[in-house]
Amino acid sequence: MTLMFSRAISYRSVWDFTAPDSIVESQRWILSTMQKYGQELVTMLWRILGNEQDVCDAYQDTFLQLAHHEGGLKPRNVKAYVFRVANNIAVSMLRRRVAERNKLPMSVTTGKAISSPVKELDSKYLQEILRDCIAQLPEHLRNVITLRDLAELSYAQIGRILGISSATARVYRCKAVQLLAVWMGREE
Amino acid sequence: MKMTKIKTDNKCRQIRTWLYANLNRHFGPEANWLNNHIMHCPRCQRRLISCSKVNLAISFMKSQPHNLDLLMRANAQAVAVLKHSLRHEPKAQELKRKLPEPRFTENCGKYGHSVANLAACILIMLLMKMGVFSSMDNFQSQGQKVIRQYYSRQIGKDLTDEIFPEETMPSHSINPRRFTNI
Repeated sequence: MTLMFSRAISYRSVWDFTAPDSIVESQRWILSTMQKYGQELVTMLWRILGNEQDVCDAYQDTFLQLAHHEGGLKPRNVKAYVFRVANNIAVSMLRRRVAERNKLPMSVTTGKAISSPVKELDSKYLQEILRDCIAQLPEHLRNVITLRDLAELSYAQIGRILGISSATARVYRCKAVQLLAVWMGREE
Repeated sequence: MKMTKIKTDNKCRQIRTWLYANLNRHFGPEANWLNNHIMHCPRCQRRLISCSKVNLAISFMKSQPHNLDLLMRANAQAVAVLKHSLRHEPKAQELKRKLPEPRFTENCGKYGHSVANLAACILIMLLMKMGVFSSMDNFQSQGQKVIRQYYSRQIGKDLTDEIFPEETMPSHSINPRRFTNI
Protein backbone atom coordinates (compact mmCIF):
# COMPACT_ATOMS: atom_id res chain seq x y z
CA MET A 1 0.00 0.00 0.00
CA THR A 2 2.80 2.39 1.00
CA LEU A 3 4.70 1.40 -2.10
CA MET A 4 1.66 2.05 -4.23
CA PHE A 5 1.05 5.42 -2.57
CA SER A 6 4.62 6.53 -3.10
CA ARG A 7 4.42 5.38 -6.72
CA ALA A 8 1.21 7.34 -7.16
CA ILE A 9 2.82 10.47 -5.73
CA SER A 10 5.83 10.12 -7.98
CA TYR A 11 3.60 9.58 -11.04
CA ARG A 12 1.55 12.59 -10.01
CA SER A 13 4.51 14.91 -9.69
CA VAL A 14 5.99 13.77 -12.96
CA TRP A 15 2.65 14.14 -14.66
CA ASP A 16 2.04 17.62 -13.27
CA PHE A 17 5.30 19.16 -14.36
CA THR A 18 6.30 17.45 -17.56
CA ALA A 19 3.15 16.99 -19.62
CA PRO A 20 2.41 19.81 -22.04
CA ASP A 21 -1.00 21.49 -21.84
CA SER A 22 -2.08 20.21 -25.24
CA ILE A 23 -1.72 16.62 -24.02
CA VAL A 24 -3.67 17.46 -20.88
CA GLU A 25 -6.45 18.97 -22.93
CA SER A 26 -6.61 15.89 -25.09
CA GLN A 27 -6.70 13.55 -22.09
CA ARG A 28 -10.30 14.22 -21.17
CA TRP A 29 -11.07 10.81 -22.69
CA ILE A 30 -9.66 9.25 -19.51
CA LEU A 31 -12.55 10.73 -17.55
CA SER A 32 -15.00 9.56 -20.22
CA THR A 33 -13.51 6.07 -20.00
CA MET A 34 -13.88 6.15 -16.24
CA GLN A 35 -17.49 7.20 -16.62
CA LYS A 36 -18.24 4.58 -19.24
CA TYR A 37 -16.52 1.49 -17.85
CA GLY A 38 -15.99 2.44 -14.20
CA GLN A 39 -18.96 0.56 -12.85
CA GLU A 40 -18.19 -2.65 -14.75
CA LEU A 41 -14.54 -2.46 -13.72
CA VAL A 42 -15.36 -1.95 -10.05
CA THR A 43 -17.78 -4.89 -10.14
CA MET A 44 -15.17 -7.13 -11.77
CA LEU A 45 -12.43 -6.05 -9.37
CA TRP A 46 -14.70 -6.53 -6.37
CA ARG A 47 -15.53 -10.05 -7.47
CA ILE A 48 -11.89 -10.92 -8.07
CA LEU A 49 -10.49 -9.32 -4.94
CA GLY A 50 -13.35 -9.26 -2.44
CA ASN A 51 -11.77 -6.38 -0.55
CA GLU A 52 -12.85 -2.76 -1.02
CA GLN A 53 -9.48 -1.12 -0.36
CA ASP A 54 -7.79 -3.47 -2.81
CA VAL A 55 -10.48 -2.67 -5.38
CA CYS A 56 -9.80 1.07 -5.03
CA ASP A 57 -6.03 0.50 -5.35
CA ALA A 58 -6.37 -1.73 -8.42
CA TYR A 59 -8.79 0.74 -10.03
CA GLN A 60 -6.41 3.62 -9.38
CA ASP A 61 -3.46 1.70 -10.82
CA THR A 62 -5.49 0.81 -13.92
CA PHE A 63 -6.23 4.44 -14.73
CA LEU A 64 -2.72 5.49 -13.85
CA GLN A 65 -1.41 3.01 -16.43
CA LEU A 66 -4.00 4.23 -18.91
CA ALA A 67 -2.91 7.84 -18.43
CA HIS A 68 0.72 6.86 -19.06
CA HIS A 69 0.07 4.56 -21.99
CA GLU A 70 2.64 5.48 -24.68
CA GLY A 71 3.18 8.96 -23.29
CA GLY A 72 -0.48 9.74 -22.81
CA LEU A 73 -1.83 8.45 -26.11
CA LYS A 74 -5.25 6.87 -26.26
CA PRO A 75 -5.07 3.09 -26.86
CA ARG A 76 -6.79 1.82 -30.00
CA ASN A 77 -9.25 -0.28 -28.00
CA VAL A 78 -9.71 1.47 -24.65
CA LYS A 79 -12.17 -1.09 -23.28
CA ALA A 80 -9.84 -3.98 -24.03
CA TYR A 81 -6.94 -2.10 -22.49
CA VAL A 82 -8.63 -1.17 -19.21
CA PHE A 83 -10.18 -4.60 -18.71
CA ARG A 84 -6.92 -6.43 -19.36
CA VAL A 85 -4.88 -4.09 -17.20
CA ALA A 86 -7.41 -4.21 -14.34
CA ASN A 87 -7.51 -7.98 -14.59
CA ASN A 88 -3.73 -8.32 -14.49
CA ILE A 89 -3.37 -5.92 -11.56
CA ALA A 90 -6.10 -7.71 -9.60
CA VAL A 91 -4.51 -11.11 -10.19
CA SER A 92 -1.08 -9.81 -9.16
CA MET A 93 -2.67 -8.58 -5.93
CA LEU A 94 -4.32 -11.97 -5.41
CA ARG A 95 -1.01 -13.78 -5.91
CA ARG A 96 0.72 -11.44 -3.48
CA ARG A 97 -2.02 -12.09 -0.94
CA VAL A 98 -1.69 -15.87 -1.38
CA ALA A 99 2.09 -15.66 -1.01
CA GLU A 100 1.75 -13.59 2.17
CA ARG A 101 -0.75 -16.07 3.59
CA ASN A 102 1.52 -18.99 2.79
CA LYS A 103 4.33 -17.34 4.75
CA LEU A 104 2.19 -17.36 7.90
CA PRO A 105 2.29 -20.45 10.12
CA MET A 106 -0.62 -22.91 9.75
CA SER A 107 -2.08 -22.03 13.17
CA VAL A 108 -2.63 -18.38 12.15
CA THR A 109 -4.35 -19.21 8.84
CA THR A 110 -7.97 -20.30 8.65
CA GLY A 111 -7.12 -23.97 8.76
CA LYS A 112 -7.72 -24.92 5.16
CA ALA A 113 -6.70 -28.51 5.72
CA ILE A 114 -9.65 -29.30 7.96
CA SER A 115 -12.43 -30.46 5.69
CA SER A 116 -16.04 -30.90 6.67
CA PRO A 117 -19.37 -30.96 4.79
CA VAL A 118 -20.41 -27.70 6.47
CA LYS A 119 -17.19 -26.01 5.39
CA GLU A 120 -17.52 -27.29 1.84
CA LEU A 121 -20.68 -25.20 1.47
CA ASP A 122 -19.34 -22.21 3.38
CA SER A 123 -19.56 -19.24 1.03
CA LYS A 124 -16.43 -17.43 2.19
CA TYR A 125 -14.33 -20.56 2.24
CA LEU A 126 -15.37 -21.53 -1.30
CA GLN A 127 -14.73 -18.02 -2.58
CA GLU A 128 -11.30 -17.92 -1.01
CA ILE A 129 -10.32 -21.27 -2.53
CA LEU A 130 -11.63 -20.23 -5.94
CA ARG A 131 -9.65 -16.97 -5.79
CA ASP A 132 -6.47 -18.88 -4.96
CA CYS A 133 -7.10 -21.27 -7.84
CA ILE A 134 -7.91 -18.49 -10.32
CA ALA A 135 -4.62 -16.80 -9.44
CA GLN A 136 -2.79 -20.02 -10.39
CA LEU A 137 -4.50 -20.45 -13.78
CA PRO A 138 -2.53 -19.85 -16.98
CA GLU A 139 -3.07 -16.32 -18.30
CA HIS A 140 -5.20 -17.21 -21.36
CA LEU A 141 -7.63 -19.31 -19.29
CA ARG A 142 -7.69 -16.87 -16.38
CA ASN A 143 -8.53 -13.90 -18.61
CA VAL A 144 -11.49 -15.71 -20.10
CA ILE A 145 -12.94 -16.93 -16.81
CA THR A 146 -12.64 -13.53 -15.12
CA LEU A 147 -14.08 -11.64 -18.06
CA ARG A 148 -16.89 -14.15 -18.64
CA ASP A 149 -17.92 -15.12 -15.12
CA LEU A 150 -16.86 -12.15 -13.02
CA ALA A 151 -17.21 -9.23 -15.45
CA GLU A 152 -20.20 -10.90 -17.14
CA LEU A 153 -19.11 -9.96 -20.66
CA SER A 154 -20.36 -11.86 -23.68
CA TYR A 155 -18.08 -14.28 -25.55
CA ALA A 156 -18.06 -11.90 -28.52
CA GLN A 157 -16.87 -9.02 -26.31
CA ILE A 158 -14.25 -11.26 -24.69
CA GLY A 159 -13.06 -12.29 -28.14
CA ARG A 160 -12.62 -8.66 -29.13
CA ILE A 161 -10.82 -7.80 -25.87
CA LEU A 162 -8.41 -10.73 -26.00
CA GLY A 163 -8.06 -10.88 -29.78
CA ILE A 164 -9.45 -14.42 -30.09
CA SER A 165 -12.62 -15.86 -31.62
CA SER A 166 -15.69 -16.35 -29.44
CA ALA A 167 -15.49 -20.12 -30.04
CA THR A 168 -11.95 -20.14 -28.67
CA ALA A 169 -13.14 -18.15 -25.67
CA ARG A 170 -15.80 -20.82 -25.01
CA VAL A 171 -13.21 -23.59 -25.20
CA TYR A 172 -10.87 -21.71 -22.84
CA ARG A 173 -13.69 -21.18 -20.35
CA CYS A 174 -14.54 -24.87 -20.42
CA LYS A 175 -10.88 -25.81 -19.86
CA ALA A 176 -10.57 -23.27 -17.05
CA VAL A 177 -13.62 -24.68 -15.24
CA GLN A 178 -12.25 -28.23 -15.57
CA LEU A 179 -8.89 -27.18 -14.20
CA LEU A 180 -10.48 -25.22 -11.35
CA ALA A 181 -12.67 -28.22 -10.49
CA VAL A 182 -9.63 -30.48 -10.23
CA TRP A 183 -7.65 -27.98 -8.18
CA MET A 184 -10.54 -27.15 -5.87
CA GLY A 185 -11.07 -30.85 -5.24
CA ARG A 186 -7.39 -31.21 -4.40
CA GLU A 187 -7.41 -28.16 -2.07
CA GLU A 188 -9.92 -29.87 0.19
CA MET B 1 -25.74 -11.07 -55.02
CA LYS B 2 -26.36 -9.53 -51.60
CA MET B 3 -29.73 -11.29 -51.27
CA THR B 4 -28.11 -14.65 -52.03
CA LYS B 5 -25.53 -14.03 -49.33
CA ILE B 6 -28.24 -13.16 -46.77
CA LYS B 7 -30.18 -16.31 -47.71
CA THR B 8 -27.07 -18.46 -47.36
CA ASP B 9 -26.31 -16.85 -43.97
CA ASN B 10 -29.84 -17.57 -42.75
CA LYS B 11 -29.56 -21.18 -43.87
CA CYS B 12 -26.21 -21.53 -42.16
CA ARG B 13 -27.68 -20.08 -38.97
CA GLN B 14 -30.62 -22.47 -39.12
CA ILE B 15 -28.29 -25.43 -39.58
CA ARG B 16 -26.09 -24.26 -36.72
CA THR B 17 -29.08 -23.80 -34.40
CA TRP B 18 -30.46 -27.20 -35.33
CA LEU B 19 -27.07 -28.81 -34.86
CA TYR B 20 -26.48 -27.24 -31.42
CA ALA B 21 -29.99 -28.15 -30.26
CA ASN B 22 -29.62 -31.76 -31.36
CA LEU B 23 -26.12 -32.10 -29.97
CA ASN B 24 -27.27 -30.66 -26.65
CA ARG B 25 -30.23 -33.02 -26.55
CA HIS B 26 -28.16 -36.10 -27.25
CA PHE B 27 -24.77 -35.23 -25.80
CA GLY B 28 -25.44 -32.33 -23.41
CA PRO B 29 -25.49 -32.48 -19.61
CA GLU B 30 -29.23 -33.15 -19.61
CA ALA B 31 -28.99 -36.26 -21.81
CA ASN B 32 -30.62 -39.34 -20.28
CA TRP B 33 -27.79 -41.76 -21.03
CA LEU B 34 -25.33 -39.37 -19.33
CA ASN B 35 -27.52 -39.03 -16.22
CA ASN B 36 -27.86 -42.82 -16.05
CA HIS B 37 -24.10 -43.21 -16.33
CA ILE B 38 -23.39 -40.61 -13.64
CA MET B 39 -25.82 -42.34 -11.29
CA HIS B 40 -23.67 -45.48 -11.38
CA CYS B 41 -20.16 -44.04 -11.80
CA PRO B 42 -18.48 -42.68 -8.64
CA ARG B 43 -15.62 -41.12 -10.65
CA CYS B 44 -17.98 -39.06 -12.82
CA GLN B 45 -20.01 -38.18 -9.73
CA ARG B 46 -16.87 -36.72 -8.15
CA ARG B 47 -16.11 -34.74 -11.33
CA LEU B 48 -19.66 -33.41 -11.51
CA ILE B 49 -19.55 -32.40 -7.86
CA SER B 50 -16.26 -30.55 -8.43
CA CYS B 51 -17.64 -28.68 -11.45
CA SER B 52 -20.79 -27.79 -9.51
CA LYS B 53 -18.61 -26.56 -6.67
CA VAL B 54 -16.78 -24.21 -9.06
CA ASN B 55 -20.10 -22.88 -10.37
CA LEU B 56 -21.38 -22.50 -6.81
CA ALA B 57 -18.28 -20.56 -5.77
CA ILE B 58 -18.64 -18.29 -8.83
CA SER B 59 -22.29 -17.69 -7.92
CA PHE B 60 -21.24 -16.80 -4.36
CA MET B 61 -18.69 -14.33 -5.74
CA LYS B 62 -21.28 -12.75 -7.99
CA SER B 63 -23.91 -12.45 -5.29
CA GLN B 64 -21.61 -10.84 -2.72
CA PRO B 65 -22.68 -7.17 -2.41
CA HIS B 66 -20.25 -4.31 -1.90
CA ASN B 67 -20.86 -0.95 -0.26
CA LEU B 68 -22.92 1.46 -2.29
CA ASP B 69 -20.21 4.11 -2.23
CA LEU B 70 -17.42 1.85 -3.56
CA LEU B 71 -17.60 3.27 -7.09
CA MET B 72 -17.54 6.79 -5.70
CA ARG B 73 -14.48 6.06 -3.55
CA ALA B 74 -12.66 4.26 -6.38
CA ASN B 75 -13.33 7.15 -8.76
CA ALA B 76 -12.18 9.71 -6.18
CA GLN B 77 -8.95 7.77 -5.58
CA ALA B 78 -8.28 7.38 -9.31
CA VAL B 79 -9.08 11.02 -10.14
CA ALA B 80 -6.74 12.16 -7.37
CA VAL B 81 -3.69 10.85 -9.26
CA LEU B 82 -4.58 12.38 -12.61
CA LYS B 83 -3.18 15.67 -13.91
CA HIS B 84 -4.16 18.68 -11.78
CA SER B 85 -6.28 20.33 -14.48
CA LEU B 86 -8.14 17.08 -15.16
CA ARG B 87 -8.93 16.77 -11.47
CA HIS B 88 -10.88 20.03 -11.57
CA GLU B 89 -12.93 19.17 -14.64
CA PRO B 90 -16.73 19.12 -13.98
CA LYS B 91 -16.78 15.50 -15.18
CA ALA B 92 -14.24 14.57 -12.53
CA GLN B 93 -16.38 16.14 -9.83
CA GLU B 94 -19.35 14.24 -11.18
CA LEU B 95 -17.38 10.98 -11.06
CA LYS B 96 -16.51 11.55 -7.42
CA ARG B 97 -20.21 11.59 -6.59
CA LYS B 98 -21.25 8.77 -8.91
CA LEU B 99 -23.24 5.88 -7.46
CA PRO B 100 -23.75 2.53 -9.16
CA GLU B 101 -26.78 2.44 -11.43
CA PRO B 102 -28.65 -0.65 -12.51
CA ARG B 103 -28.24 -1.60 -16.16
CA PHE B 104 -30.83 -0.50 -18.70
CA THR B 105 -32.15 -4.06 -19.11
CA GLU B 106 -32.37 -4.51 -15.33
CA ASN B 107 -34.21 -1.21 -15.10
CA CYS B 108 -36.67 -2.13 -17.79
CA GLY B 109 -37.11 -5.66 -16.48
CA LYS B 110 -39.50 -4.65 -13.72
CA TYR B 111 -41.73 -2.80 -16.19
CA GLY B 112 -41.80 -5.73 -18.61
CA HIS B 113 -45.09 -7.20 -17.35
CA SER B 114 -46.79 -3.80 -17.19
CA VAL B 115 -45.70 -2.97 -20.75
CA ALA B 116 -46.92 -6.36 -22.00
CA ASN B 117 -50.28 -5.88 -20.25
CA LEU B 118 -50.66 -2.38 -21.65
CA ALA B 119 -49.83 -3.57 -25.17
CA ALA B 120 -52.37 -6.39 -24.86
CA CYS B 121 -55.06 -3.93 -23.63
CA ILE B 122 -54.37 -1.52 -26.52
CA LEU B 123 -54.56 -4.39 -29.02
CA ILE B 124 -57.85 -5.64 -27.57
CA MET B 125 -59.28 -2.11 -27.61
CA LEU B 126 -58.23 -1.62 -31.23
CA LEU B 127 -59.75 -4.93 -32.27
CA MET B 128 -62.95 -4.14 -30.37
CA LYS B 129 -63.15 -0.70 -31.92
CA MET B 130 -62.65 -2.08 -35.42
CA GLY B 131 -65.19 -4.82 -34.81
CA VAL B 132 -67.82 -2.53 -33.26
CA PHE B 133 -67.53 0.11 -35.97
CA SER B 134 -67.67 -2.36 -38.84
CA SER B 135 -70.70 -4.12 -37.26
CA MET B 136 -72.50 -0.80 -36.78
CA ASP B 137 -71.82 0.16 -40.36
CA ASN B 138 -73.04 -3.20 -41.57
CA PHE B 139 -76.10 -3.01 -39.35
CA GLN B 140 -77.00 0.48 -40.68
CA SER B 141 -76.67 -0.47 -44.35
CA GLN B 142 -78.65 -3.71 -43.88
CA GLY B 143 -81.40 -1.81 -42.04
CA GLN B 144 -81.69 0.79 -44.77
CA LYS B 145 -81.87 -1.93 -47.43
CA VAL B 146 -84.66 -3.70 -45.58
CA ILE B 147 -86.68 -0.49 -45.13
CA ARG B 148 -86.19 0.43 -48.80
CA GLN B 149 -87.34 -3.01 -49.93
CA TYR B 150 -90.36 -2.78 -47.65
CA TYR B 151 -91.37 0.63 -49.03
CA SER B 152 -90.77 -0.38 -52.63
CA ARG B 153 -93.02 -3.41 -52.13
CA GLN B 154 -95.75 -1.32 -50.44
CA ILE B 155 -95.76 1.95 -52.37
CA GLY B 156 -93.76 1.25 -55.51
CA LYS B 157 -90.20 1.86 -56.68
CA ASP B 158 -90.62 5.43 -57.93
CA LEU B 159 -92.04 6.74 -54.70
CA THR B 160 -89.41 4.86 -52.70
CA ASP B 161 -86.65 6.49 -54.76
CA GLU B 162 -88.18 9.86 -53.96
CA ILE B 163 -88.38 9.12 -50.24
CA PHE B 164 -84.94 7.51 -50.08
CA PRO B 165 -82.75 9.37 -52.51
CA GLU B 166 -79.38 7.80 -53.48
CA GLU B 167 -77.41 10.25 -51.22
CA THR B 168 -78.93 8.85 -48.05
CA MET B 169 -77.67 5.34 -48.86
CA PRO B 170 -74.31 4.35 -47.46
CA SER B 171 -71.60 4.61 -50.09
CA HIS B 172 -70.82 0.88 -50.26
CA SER B 173 -74.52 -0.09 -50.60
CA ILE B 174 -75.10 2.07 -53.75
CA ASN B 175 -75.44 -0.09 -56.80
CA PRO B 176 -73.06 1.20 -59.48
CA ARG B 177 -75.38 -0.05 -62.25
CA ARG B 178 -77.87 2.72 -61.35
CA PHE B 179 -75.39 5.40 -62.34
CA THR B 180 -74.97 3.79 -65.75
CA ASN B 181 -78.75 3.98 -66.29
CA ILE B 182 -78.67 7.75 -65.72
